[in-house]
Amino acid sequence: MARRASLFTRTVAIGVAAAAMLLAIVLVVPALIDMVAGPDHPPVTRMTSPGEPIPAEALAYRIRPWDLAVPLHSEPREGARPRTLETYRSLRAYPGAPPRIPHEVSPEQSRATLCNACHAGGGYVPRHGAYTPVTPHPEFSDCLQCHVPDAGAVGVGVGAVPADLSLVGWAPADWVARDWPELDQRAMPGSPLWIPHELRLRENCLACHAGPGAVEEIRTTHPDRTDCRSCHVPLVTDDPGFTRPVDRSAGGDS
Amino acid sequence: MSGVDRRTFLKQAAMAAAAAAATSLVPGVTFGRELESYLDGFVASADVTWHKTPCRFCGVGCGLQVAIENGRAVAVRGDPASPVNRGLACVKGYHSVQALYGRDRLTRARVRRNGELVDVPIQEALDLIADRLRDTIEEHGKDSVALYGSGQWTIPDGYVASKFFKGGIGTNNLEANARLCMSSAVTGFMTSFGMDEPMGCYEDIDHADVFVLWGNNMSEMHPVLFSRMLRERDRRPDVRIIDLATRTTRTSYAADRSILFTPQSDLAIANGICHEIVRRGWANRDFVDRYVTFKEGRTQIGYGLQDDFSFTDRATDASWSDFVRFLDDYTPERVEEISGVPASEIRWLASLYGDPSRKVMSFWCMGLNQHTRGTWVNNLVYNIHLLTGKISTPGNSPFSLTGQPSACGTVREVGTLTHKLPYGDVTNPEAREKAAEIWGVPVERIDPQPTHHTVSMFRALDRGDLRFMWIQVTNPMVTMPHLNRYRDGAEKDGRFIVVSDVYPTPTTDVADVILPAAMWIEREGLFGNSERRTQHFQQLLEPPGEAMSDTWQLIEVARRLGYEELFPWSYEEHIDRIWAEYIRFHDSPDHRMAPLAELRERPGIIWPYVDGQETKWRYNTATDPAADPERGAFDFYGNPDHRAWIWLRPYEPPPEWPDDEYPFWLNTGRVLEHWHSGSMTRRIPTLHRAVPGAYVEIHPDDAREMGIGEGERVRLVTRRGSLELPTRIEFRAQPPRGQVFVPFFDETLLINDLTLDAYCPISAQPDYKKCAVRVERIGVE
Repeated sequence: MARRASLFTRTVAIGVAAAAMLLAIVLVVPALIDMVAGPDHPPVTRMTSPGEPIPAEALAYRIRPWDLAVPLHSEPREGARPRTLETYRSLRAYPGAPPRIPHEVSPEQSRATLCNACHAGGGYVPRHGAYTPVTPHPEFSDCLQCHVPDAGAVGVGVGAVPADLSLVGWAPADWVARDWPELDQRAMPGSPLWIPHELRLRENCLACHAGPGAVEEIRTTHPDRTDCRSCHVPLVTDDPGFTRPVDRSAGGDS
Repeated sequence: MSGVDRRTFLKQAAMAAAAAAATSLVPGVTFGRELESYLDGFVASADVTWHKTPCRFCGVGCGLQVAIENGRAVAVRGDPASPVNRGLACVKGYHSVQALYGRDRLTRARVRRNGELVDVPIQEALDLIADRLRDTIEEHGKDSVALYGSGQWTIPDGYVASKFFKGGIGTNNLEANARLCMSSAVTGFMTSFGMDEPMGCYEDIDHADVFVLWGNNMSEMHPVLFSRMLRERDRRPDVRIIDLATRTTRTSYAADRSILFTPQSDLAIANGICHEIVRRGWANRDFVDRYVTFKEGRTQIGYGLQDDFSFTDRATDASWSDFVRFLDDYTPERVEEISGVPASEIRWLASLYGDPSRKVMSFWCMGLNQHTRGTWVNNLVYNIHLLTGKISTPGNSPFSLTGQPSACGTVREVGTLTHKLPYGDVTNPEAREKAAEIWGVPVERIDPQPTHHTVSMFRALDRGDLRFMWIQVTNPMVTMPHLNRYRDGAEKDGRFIVVSDVYPTPTTDVADVILPAAMWIEREGLFGNSERRTQHFQQLLEPPGEAMSDTWQLIEVARRLGYEELFPWSYEEHIDRIWAEYIRFHDSPDHRMAPLAELRERPGIIWPYVDGQETKWRYNTATDPAADPERGAFDFYGNPDHRAWIWLRPYEPPPEWPDDEYPFWLNTGRVLEHWHSGSMTRRIPTLHRAVPGAYVEIHPDDAREMGIGEGERVRLVTRRGSLELPTRIEFRAQPPRGQVFVPFFDETLLINDLTLDAYCPISAQPDYKKCAVRVERIGVE
């Protein structure tokens, strides 16, 4: 009897132990394995869309030759009124300022924000005898938020720029604009020009620097190359050169 | 002819010639006015002469022309005669000569005495190096000394290094940082084709209809080739560029389609593309039956994280049906679960590769090579091209790009790696006999056992198994992964470190002797670029101070150790003699090199160069003299069965990925303006002023959630180290959510203290693109 009881007890004990072991195997070991090895592959993130593009980079490639009304490499037609650095600067209060609108904007036009109909693609406008400047940021359509017509320009006639800025009612006495950047800044004769201006909202180089509507003095000779910034880089610091913070090679502290 | 007339005449003549050359090579590209401004005041001056040279920087190997005036380099232009770049260059190339003139250029030898580096005459430094080398070998044996170079070594540098260490000292302790850069490309080629380097060439760009970029930000890393690709798309509107990447870059923006995938899942994507090609019946069965063999290797192969790790693969035969069964695991839906790329995109990619009417070019570089399964993923891209028969014909080209100007020419062709000889492996008795015969040394002196690959070499230095290391043309104290361990190792007592370089760097900081090196066009040399093009450059400038070429430094020390008979050449003739000797190793139709006289005249020549003809497409019996027409249209003669091998390589996870404690992926790499560790490009004012320091890119949503602003300093922490650096949230590229990116060029912000030294067990190339990191907000202090 004692033996049988003992046998029974032992059987139960073995059963309990086995169950406990099984439980341990089921519950604990995977957790241990997990602690040691982790899951068997990295968590997958859904990354199918690049998300919002970064304007400074994405827009650099926005304008492609076939998107434009006229090919980028074509020369301005004979007799077209040239767009010069002088007119370009006269429309901006300081380097980088949004240009004023030198032509009439009818109330209908301003409501409908139709600027991009002409300024996204450019092209020659016979009525004005000139090429339309191409905007570097056609993704914005509320143009009048930044670009405003001159009070004095209303009715002045399309394209005409008043020579005397006081006519348009904007000439504070103590205003001192930054100097316009020099045009021909480069490291060595023949090396690519630096980008002498900030890029925000002007990331698309070709809009302003290529095509017959571009300002004469800053029109590129090689609009076929669309990866402009592989050669032309901006200068983000005045620091003239790299200096090692601590030149340990000079001796001493090693 | 009056002076003015003559001046005008010369100028116009030169312009006309250059413009004609430019326009004939690149129809439609207008260089006239630009050239005029280049040449204005230059051509007419008797003091200015222009000379051809390959660019000093990346593996594209652009041809440049450098203007020399009064013994100084004063300007650079792209060489219109070079078929690589056809007159173009990138911002680094255009400013390259300024790297010669940094204020802190090393011009004198320095020796550490009582902890301080003091200037000494270079001959005294060379004596000291020879003494230490001899003493170390006597005390600790020949395998206690090592030479570590790079893909910036010229071909003569690498050849002398190999002859000195393998033929002279008799140790295989010879490595190059190209191990960190393209050894997975090598093992990929060797396992799939039995021969290294691409079958095609850059001319494929002019023929391809579809470009698939596998983890390759070409716009910044290979800008001139990228421009050629964009130009093709402008010329032929049906051309498509697909950017397949883990991060959104300039390349993504310029591409027709940007597809982002979870790091490491490129393995699954490539297999998924093959699955779809097979299922749709787009496989080119004729090609596969005639020219392809199927192989299976070992799996669960590890990551090389332990010092005593070793691995040998074993190829076993497989069949078409084994391959089809293997691909069952890679349905586009299953691949979507691993990669995050929608199944529809996988199918679309397969339809591009599978469409018999489209020629497809695949490009890759560090994304596939710096990968713990780098060899596998190289194999898998070849699988796609072999399955569709899109290989070795114009425009059908799997193309592995390199990062250094002579990674191919020097490290791969000369073979400055532990297991290599200038032709063949040290383990191969015939290769040893050939080397012994050409070098005139007893064959027993060439050790048949490879020793250390790069990571293993620096671990051995840390442990003390290596006592002496000579480092030339590279900056491992910026570029080694898990850097803090190897820096501590190099600084330990009883280690003697010699560094040859042109500027002080974190590597010269740990040196016991610094040798000033002659750089690039301050000596005569040769590079070999990614398309098997060998390029010669003449010495155009006097090196500053006592600076000496790496080739000549090695020869000087070798002679001091008694190896005069191996290096009997005079300085004037040594490059000619080295070239003549070196090309004896490659004197067969599968690898023949051009003679130096022709290389001096031409803007590079593609090998195999047989009977005056470059071989633009290897293995194609119509274009490759080494291929046997009896075998059909193709002969993959690198493999014993004359077939290319498709490998059944599965997806396996990386060794480390984001978890609760380290919730981000850390990705590292380069930027357009800086080349590798920045020791040259940071001294070029234009480049330094464009990108003055390192930063961490972080997704705007992640930044917003953590309350981190643009430019704010944050702390990155991995299991190996931590680093504080400023954020760039709206810079030129953007990682996806859950990933951050840091460029490695900045020696003051060493991201490699944080990276993981896991590597591909077959290639021993580390993975710098994936480890787990925590981003901590520091806040205003």
